[in-house]
Amino acid sequence: MGRYILRRSLLGVATLLLVMFVLHLLTTFAIQLNGNPALAFFGDKVPTESQLAAVETRFGLDDPCYDQTGNPCLGPFVERLGQYAQGDFGTNLRGREVTDIVATAAPNTLKLFLVVTIVWFVLGMGLGTAAARRRDRSADHGIRLTSVLIDAFPIFVLLLVYRYVFAVPLNGWAEDTFGAGSLPALWFRPSFDDDHPWATLLVPGILLGLAGSAAFIRLVRASQLESYAGDHVRTARSRGLNERHVVTHHVIRNSAVPVVTAVGLTFTEALAGAVVTEGMMNIYGMGGVLWEAVRAADVALILGIVTILAAVTVVVMLVVDIAYAALDPRIRYA
Amino acid sequence: MGRKAAVAATATAVALVLASCSGGGGDDDGTDGGGGGGGSDPDATLHLALSQDVETLLPMDSNVGDNISVLDVVYDGLVRYDPKTTEPYNYVAESVETEDNTVWTIKIKPDLTFQNGEPVDADAFARAWNYAAYGPNAMANNYFFERIAGYDEMQGETDDEGNVTKEPEAETLSGLKVVDPQTLEVTLTGPFAGFATMLGYTGFFPIAQACLDDIEACAVQPIGNGPFQVEKWDQGVNLTAQRWEDYTLEETPEYGAIEWTEYTGEDNWPDFQAGNLDFAVPPPAEQQAAANDPDLQERYVEGPGAALTYLAFPLYKDGPWTDVEFRKAISLAVDRQGIIDALLPGQRVPADSWVVPDVVPGGTGGTCEWCTFDPEAAKAALEKAGGWPEGEKLTIHLGQDATEQELFKAVGDSIQETLGIPYELDATPDYFARRAARDFSGPFRANWFPDYPLNENYLAPVYASGDEKNGNVEFGYYSADFEAAVKAGDEAATLDEAVTQYQEAEKILATDFPTIPLFVAQNTDYYSENVSNVVLDPFSGEPKLRLLEVTNG
Amino acid sequence: MPERAAPGPTAATATPDAPAVDASTSLGGDAWRRLRRRPDVIAAAVVVVFFAVMAAFPRLFTSTNPQSCVIGDSKIRPQGLGGEHPLGTDVHGCDLLAQLVHGARPSLTLAFVVVGASLLIGVTLGLLAGYYLGWVDSVVSRTIEVFLVIPLLLAALLLLTLFRKVSVGGGTFDVILLPAVVLTMFGWMAYARYVRAATLEAKNLDYVTAARALGASDLRVMVRHVLPNAIGPVTALVPTAIAGVISTEAVLAFLGIGVRPPAISWGIMITNGADWVTGGYAYLLLYPLGCLVLTVLALVALGDALRDALDPRLR
Repeated sequence: MGRYILRRSLLGVATLLLVMFVLHLLTTFAIQLNGNPALAFFGDKVPTESQLAAVETRFGLDDPCYDQTGNPCLGPFVERLGQYAQGDFGTNLRGREVTDIVATAAPNTLKLFLVVTIVWFVLGMGLGTAAARRRDRSADHGIRLTSVLIDAFPIFVLLLVYRYVFAVPLNGWAEDTFGAGSLPALWFRPSFDDDHPWATLLVPGILLGLAGSAAFIRLVRASQLESYAGDHVRTARSRGLNERHVVTHHVIRNSAVPVVTAVGLTFTEALAGAVVTEGMMNIYGMGGVLWEAVRAADVALILGIVTILAAVTVVVMLVVDIAYAALDPRIRYA
Repeated sequence: MGRKAAVAATATAVALVLASCSGGGGDDDGTDGGGGGGGSDPDATLHLALSQDVETLLPMDSNVGDNISVLDVVYDGLVRYDPKTTEPYNYVAESVETEDNTVWTIKIKPDLTFQNGEPVDADAFARAWNYAAYGPNAMANNYFFERIAGYDEMQGETDDEGNVTKEPEAETLSGLKVVDPQTLEVTLTGPFAGFATMLGYTGFFPIAQACLDDIEACAVQPIGNGPFQVEKWDQGVNLTAQRWEDYTLEETPEYGAIEWTEYTGEDNWPDFQAGNLDFAVPPPAEQQAAANDPDLQERYVEGPGAALTYLAFPLYKDGPWTDVEFRKAISLAVDRQGIIDALLPGQRVPADSWVVPDVVPGGTGGTCEWCTFDPEAAKAALEKAGGWPEGEKLTIHLGQDATEQELFKAVGDSIQETLGIPYELDATPDYFARRAARDFSGPFRANWFPDYPLNENYLAPVYASGDEKNGNVEFGYYSADFEAAVKAGDEAATLDEAVTQYQEAEKILATDFPTIPLFVAQNTDYYSENVSNVVLDPFSGEPKLRLLEVTNG
Repeated sequence: MPERAAPGPTAATATPDAPAVDASTSLGGDAWRRLRRRPDVIAAAVVVVFFAVMAAFPRLFTSTNPQSCVIGDSKIRPQGLGGEHPLGTDVHGCDLLAQLVHGARPSLTLAFVVVGASLLIGVTLGLLAGYYLGWVDSVVSRTIEVFLVIPLLLAALLLLTLFRKVSVGGGTFDVILLPAVVLTMFGWMAYARYVRAATLEAKNLDYVTAARALGASDLRVMVRHVLPNAIGPVTALVPTAIAGVISTEAVLAFLGIGVRPPAISWGIMITNGADWVTGGYAYLLLYPLGCLVLTVLALVALGDALRDALDPRLR
């Protein structure tokens, strides 16, 4: 087991470096092809050469390789890796520490993801199990229909309708009933409040989780149906174990494994939802920051955030793999 | 002498306006009006929205609407602007005098201090201006100082690849002289009657020595000389400011604190409805509902804005647009009012001049003869111009702002329906870079937001270049008459004469028709029950925070 | 058991000479017979065909030019059949029905192109990795991992920035090219994983070992014997994946990085309509959203039915 973990960890680090390099290349080419992000600094004005040069220096874009299309800019990349190794993640274009930005943004996104994950798990296991048990009956059809509807409904429509139609009256009602500043009033606040992150993240998190839960419902249902047909369940049943025991021990527990895997894999995908949710609910989070960084071609910020994000993802995948291996010993020898 | 008298007269007029504002106390909505007079509660907090792209609070580096509005209560400038007429009056300056519009003597009021106790004197201004003007510091407001003598020597030189070939020769502006602690003498490169008008702009605010010693800290935690003190800025989340108790000048509000919540977009209407914000503008879909709400209508304020949106042409490229008749045809084909009514009712008005009326001295409406919607005249003009090449598409370039894309889709539709010219929108993220590189192959959206309230600012920086051969960088426009009229304005003896000269320059634009005025921003705002005496700054569109009265809801 | 044409790649790759393939063919035929008998499958198929026809021949449904918009006709409410604007007009005064009909093509083409290309890439790489193992497997697995770690949205935005200078024309395929490339790049990993796992299993089956021992070429073994076993579970994923791409297109449009105006897609219509949902013009959102939901619903129903039919263990 120890060797397995070591091997997976090393592979994780390799993946991380590869990801960073790919993103470095993409961003560099973007700058080389599209011209200088420093120009945006001047807005309506046309800068002189020397003004532009000064801003380039300030933004750390003065390395000549950024002007040579096709040059992979290895120098700045290696330099940056060296700085990372020393714990220095640099600053964004306007001089703010990347670590400072991440320290403010990351906790909010992680809280959001936690709520989302719980919603996925609860809805997926709950509805998926119910559908599998009542296969081909009306409950099953109802759940599957709902899951498709959820899937097809874009998250921004969900959030928009919630904010404009439900949040304000609910917030008003909660303030009247429980008092201003009470917990229920905070739940229905139309946007994020930094002083009460958990309370104001709850509803956006549930909505985002709801939007992504369809895949989990289907996954759990499918994997449980497989279990029901599997040999071990048939054996358990034939041994006269009661149905309840069979379902909890052999069907539900087994179906949790693919769900855990899927949670790990869906992590990066959820970032799309996070960009939308953070933007609409005014949460200062990684999704929104990254989005703006890419728009501004802010190389240092993109790489800084992606490195941290990728590190988290790699760790999550690693944990999932290890958990998987622990649950299913065959994996280790595969 | 005449100059001094004019400024002094304005100052008195403004003092009267201010007195009447704060004396009136607004509509007394049942509060006891705690504290001394006015309708404000000394421990009330004002809740405002702030755009998340605010990155710095350094005056020399702030040129976006949002940090300017924060800095307006954190710093005091030499002059401030009348909320109604936008005319400047002396504030930190005791007097601003000149004989020849080239050498300006600025006297500063005595005994003023920064929030850290340092004196606000001639040195405080000189150090800020020198820092901003020094090229390698790359301050956003650097270009404001190009009229001051010695500016060029502070800019380095670079070759085509952007490598620095020459370090700047000087680190200070030679035209800036500290005569004594209260006197600053400024020498310009040439006469400019509007110099005093520029002095209230954010870029001209003073800074403390402590700020210069640690610029990075000062950008986040400013050391101001205004009525409010920044308490904490959690970048990307919120910004709080407390009233500075030791403030000595007169323009200070009564309420205790301001809290700005940062927003990624402009979508904060539900927060206003839920009572978390004191000011908001509804999105287009909510405008109808807001307009039908009698309660909200009582808390609605609107006023003329200063931003002008226009359509420019790549006159440097060969195409039908080099013919003035073609440009007329396009202008006459755009249903400005119809577009505004459908997309942004109340938030824009049709433009029919190159200088926005009612907002800056010298701005009058109706200078554009061909800015009405007249399909028949448009078709006639197009015919006169020789029509549009068969099978070609008119490409309209613009940036990626969603609202502007909506507006320009409607502009394109209007042209297509009226003239039968098929069009396509090119919403490019490199709008500025491409415009500077003259990389446009069709008309493009342009927008001008003035830096200081003078009609000259809508004209010279946009259309004048002095480059007879190539014209100005953006459109390739050049007119000797126009340049002469602007120069005559710069050299005029008084500001009034200058304004009249600049109006002549605008008339030349009306004949040459290099660009098509389309829309002028209209400032609108809804406010909560907690605030009163709301006056919108015509210039920035923001409520005048120093005039507001705020109570605890 | 009578042989008949079966749907999907299962039958397409089937040849009668291998035992497992024979089973697969009859499995396909069996699946087809099961599917035909289910009314929900028939209904779903009708919906999919309806929208496919709409995408292919928009002129059958409307003669109005979707790009002809008169600002004075802004936001006319639905007038019903026979009116000039049966479904009303949008904010710009464009005819909603015409937009809806012409918007079907980019949305559906994008979905089919993306899933088709992802399938091709995923199956090929999965097959190679599972069959050869060793360094091929290492490279493929590492690539899969890298693509799983890079957030789709980030890459979409970056690639879009990269290619924004590249002039794309106005044809249907040009309009969807960029989102198609991005979504394909990040859509193939699931197929590759499935196929790799299935290949690992199939490789050790007796008849495959036998075929290899008899000197069949790697290519022949892979295509004839391994692939038919691996393709089953993947086929069932296809309709659901198509549905997923249609929904994702809407989110990309919302973020401004999908199909770009003035081209019309359902996603763009939903994005624009969403702005007006609270202003009393909900139809601007509901019509395109309804079309999207209906299509997705039909495709998922087909996918589920296909999965149930193709998976022998679920019988």
